[in-house]
Amino acid sequence: MEREEVKKRIAERFGGKVQIAERSEKRVYIYAENEIWVDLASFLFNDLDARFDTGVGIDDRDGVEVMFFFPFDREGYYVTVKTFAKKPHPELDSISPVIPGAKWIEQEIFEMYEVNFRNHPDLRPVLRSDTRPADFYPHKREIKCKHEMSRVKNDGEERADEVAGKPLKGQNP
Amino acid sequence: MVKKIPIGPFHPVLEEPEFFELHVDGENVVDIDITIGWSHRGIELLSESKTWDQVPFLVERVCGICSCSHPYAYVKAVEDLLQVEVPKRAQFIRIIIAELERLHSHLLWTGLAGHFIGYNTVFMWCWKYREPLLDILEAVTGNRNHYAMMRIGGVRRDIPLEEYGNIRKMLDSLWEKNDLITNAIVDDPVIHARTKTVGIFNKDQCRLYGALGPTARAGGYDVDARRDHPIDAYGELDFDVIVCENGDVFDKAVVRQLENFEAIKIIRQCLDRLEEMGPMKDDSELCIEIGEIPPGEGIGVYEAPRGEVLHYIRSNGKNTPMRHKIRAPSFNNILTNEASVPGNTVADAGLITAAVDPCYSCTERVGRVDVNSGERYVLSEGDLIRLSAEKTEEIRRQLGK
Repeated sequence: MEREEVKKRIAERFGGKVQIAERSEKRVYIYAENEIWVDLASFLFNDLDARFDTGVGIDDRDGVEVMFFFPFDREGYYVTVKTFAKKPHPELDSISPVIPGAKWIEQEIFEMYEVNFRNHPDLRPVLRSDTRPADFYPHKREIKCKHEMSRVKNDGEERADEVAGKPLKGQNP
Repeated sequence: MVKKIPIGPFHPVLEEPEFFELHVDGENVVDIDITIGWSHRGIELLSESKTWDQVPFLVERVCGICSCSHPYAYVKAVEDLLQVEVPKRAQFIRIIIAELERLHSHLLWTGLAGHFIGYNTVFMWCWKYREPLLDILEAVTGNRNHYAMMRIGGVRRDIPLEEYGNIRKMLDSLWEKNDLITNAIVDDPVIHARTKTVGIFNKDQCRLYGALGPTARAGGYDVDARRDHPIDAYGELDFDVIVCENGDVFDKAVVRQLENFEAIKIIRQCLDRLEEMGPMKDDSELCIEIGEIPPGEGIGVYEAPRGEVLHYIRSNGKNTPMRHKIRAPSFNNILTNEASVPGNTVADAGLITAAVDPCYSCTERVGRVDVNSGERYVLSEGDLIRLSAEKTEEIRRQLGK
């Protein structure tokens, strides 16, 4: 479906809840409110016949920006849908029940940024090791100091901490 | 009675870590649970500590086989942010290296698949014919892998004029050998019996799971970033996108074999165009001048041998990416095993999981647990390959071959 037609149909359906921007003829960015996030993804995937590609999380002071890519392959352009999950408890509805291919990327965004995807079928961390503290979200910038690895280079237990990436001795995770 | 068989975290075929827990009823797999992340290296975060020009060297290390595809997608993402076009000569050189990579990746996979079903001749052929290809890459770039050819705005070095003849000679030879291997696969009734209707993943499933590359095209899902989102000079080249319809292991092998011919055609066209241009006059034909990277975002996609690679970058105006997202095709393709493995036998499970040409990292072991009796035993890589080869042998006996 042509770019202009897609933009028109999305604007008609979601009105003021979306903002559409275009960086070039191959890149369309749609900023969506949380409440229509799943509907918009479903509309693009099921009604407008876009392909689902993947997602990205970006940490920010006030929340986590989450975006998913929906390429239109026949016409050769990408639609990127963005929304913002506010801190301190970023939450979004999961699009996995609509698009099974989004399952792992949502799990990854959860474990890297602590975005809780409601209604996700299996929100387990997919990438991190079991030895990491439960509240360690590697891409969240504000908690890194707390979990910073030991700088002590003696041969005692601290060296193990350095390897496992565990919190420093005496600090609760 | 349903039992659980854990396969991994060390993949039985590809010597890379992955954990598949098979839920089996007798020999039939009824469900599968996949766990990834055994060799997570934090490359995205690491990339955010590198300067824009250092990142290509880092992302080459995402995958040894796709060591051109990742930097290619990355530089295209930055060029998307900058909205610049690179010189024509650089475009053709990029495509030549990328397509040579596709050839050696597909040959590697076909060889491994042959080994796994007990056809070690196919394994030896493929890896033997892959060697001249790697020699050419070494002559052109200095390395068999990790070519370090991509840079933002162009390429790092020219392909010397005297190498064109060697590349053409190697391609002519490879065309014949690839024809030989393709015919051996397509005409062999044992391979038919062993791989057809095994691990079917159809078009609708491909769309739902976001399958990519040969995994998708084997099932009739016609996606190829080279044609759909053409970068550099791909839009000017004549090539076909190979699509089958059954989505089984056989079709995945056929797609890869036929894609080798298309890759050879593409490289020949690029060489023709480079010859028309003549010798390089100055460095501006290789790379344009890139200054500071302004704030903004860019998406770069490239069709790697295993499927579309996507890189997303965001800049805040500093000399490192503020965010760099890398999505390798295996991230989407491995998830497809959730739908393609159930309904098949244990002897086929390893073959199906390998058919997507997954890209993990390196080690090997297989464990098996009977959850009803509590009995626990470990199968080695050799055991699983033996299981698979025995099935091939059985089919061969039945067919009288």
